[in-house]
Amino acid sequence: MAANNKALTAKKAALKGTQGKAQRKVRTTTTFHLPKTLRLARVPKYSRKSIPHAPRMDQYRVIRQPLNTETAMKKLEDDNTLVFLVDVKANKRQIKDAVKKLYDVEAAKINTLIRPDGQKKAYVRLTADADALDVANKIGFI
Amino acid sequence: MVAVKAHELRNKNKAELTKQLDDLKQELASLRVQKITGGARLQKIGATRKAVARVLTVINQTQREQLRLFYKSKKYTPLDLRTKKTRAIRRRLTKVEASKKTVKEQKKLAHFPQRKFAVKA
Repeated sequence: MAANNKALTAKKAALKGTQGKAQRKVRTTTTFHLPKTLRLARVPKYSRKSIPHAPRMDQYRVIRQPLNTETAMKKLEDDNTLVFLVDVKANKRQIKDAVKKLYDVEAAKINTLIRPDGQKKAYVRLTADADALDVANKIGFI
Repeated sequence: MVAVKAHELRNKNKAELTKQLDDLKQELASLRVQKITGGARLQKIGATRKAVARVLTVINQTQREQLRLFYKSKKYTPLDLRTKKTRAIRRRLTKVEASKKTVKEQKKLAHFPQRKFAVKA
């Protein structure tokens, strides 16, 4: 039995050689592209920040105060819009959410500008089903 | 309004504190509205701002203190709970690491300590 095996391996070695033959990959294009490798998700051993910060731009920070100048009052009555002084870093989406959270009204559209004194003014036009005068009374600045 | 005191705040739990924070911020907003309508309660605005700061301080202090207790037994702690000192100091060898000696050095010190001699008067 052992002698037979030995004879067979000797025959194989004589015909095919003792090292294994690796097959060369057939390349169909001349360009070499990055092969797809395994990408693992992160599993951190500790969180880098101990406490995640509370949202910094909350509704109280976004809207600073309403304006009650003559032109603002005109806009209130005629165009159903409220005029606010707003944080400079606030954007229109944040202003819309803040107005929703604070006063429970939907804004149809918002226009903003930055005054020469550096503060941001927001014209918040309310939807047709909300009355700006009522909201202003509720806020308390009529 | 009763002045908000920190030692009273520390007895409250987190839910109560966040609620108080919200109330204070709303009050601050209404005070700002009153300012433009000529209400003129300007001292209250300052006091309310400081009260908001006090509540936030108490919230954060107790949170961090609890976290430090939680991480005391663990190997890795979050970076902002580790000692800050300076970058160079953090990279220095620890006292234990710096005092380590090779066996050869230990033997030398044991066999040939610094001798002290005195001249008899």
